[in-house]
Amino acid sequence: MALGKTPYFEDVDIGAEIPGLEKGPLTTAHLMRWSAAMENWHKIHYDKPFTMEHDKLPGLLINGSLKQQFVMQLLADWAGPQGWAWKASFQFRAMNLVEETVRVWGRVTEKRAGPDFGLIDIELGIVNDAGKESTPGTAIVALPFKNGKVLPYPFVPPKF
Amino acid sequence: MSTLSESLKKYIGMQSETEVACDTVERGAVRRYAQAIMYEDPIFDQTCENNARFGGPVAPPLFPTHMFRRAFGQPDPIQDNATNPDFDGIVAATSSQGLPAIEPLAGYALLNGGSEIEFFRYARHGESIKLTSRYADITEKETSKGPIVLVVTESEYRNSEGELLIRTRRTQIRRK
Repeated sequence: MALGKTPYFEDVDIGAEIPGLEKGPLTTAHLMRWSAAMENWHKIHYDKPFTMEHDKLPGLLINGSLKQQFVMQLLADWAGPQGWAWKASFQFRAMNLVEETVRVWGRVTEKRAGPDFGLIDIELGIVNDAGKESTPGTAIVALPFKNGKVLPYPFVPPKF
Repeated sequence: MSTLSESLKKYIGMQSETEVACDTVERGAVRRYAQAIMYEDPIFDQTCENNARFGGPVAPPLFPTHMFRRAFGQPDPIQDNATNPDFDGIVAATSSQGLPAIEPLAGYALLNGGSEIEFFRYARHGESIKLTSRYADITEKETSKGPIVLVVTESEYRNSEGELLIRTRRTQIRRK
């Protein structure tokens, strides 16, 4: 739950891990609840015979659309109420099957100071219980300076 | 170039009409969504200190991307396909983001390949959201598991005042 404080740009170190997020085990009930919330009735998330016999998949899949929510939560939680999770990019390289627990992780790879606030580059991913990576990606989070200005809202993409 | 690639070319660059979501950002829909993603931040529920700068209660970041649903009176693809053994449950609003279905890929399975998301502003409770999309690229590719088609769709989500909330670039994997 995003109740943490926003880190200041100056306090973030390159190479630092950002607090991970664990979700699961994700059961068919979780997947059905998500399907209902977004009104997506793709059978590969709840109809096992169709998934395995018709679509030739190994089992019911955790929705990519659900995994991307977890990525955004990881970033927004870390950015806190005064930061801004501006960009996220990820590929669904491997499937996550129902009943898996997934852990979203992130690591600071670079930081860039602009005139009014700073940008933090992050590499991220989602691993399952076995440590297998399924969703490698990157993100950019904007953070304020100590004693600096409040970030613009709506967020205005910087030129640096 | 294969016959399939040739038939897909006409879709590249195709742009949707602006589509307005059939419902505004509803508090109950936000609650169900936040609970489904297990992200029950108070900023999504009621006015609080942490959403003051957003103008009050907001929806989770990607909520607007899931607001384009079947309106009252529109054809019901679930019932229309009740006896179709090949119907995979995907409804147009999920798969096409307001764009016409790609006819040569009818019957192809769909998997989510990945996304690039730019996030500018939360959707506030009560706001109306509109969407425009375009097919940015469609390419056929050989893999060890057979041929696949990568469909790249770019979309923009705005409120009724035209303020940009989210820009996405999604890749869908389609295969026989």
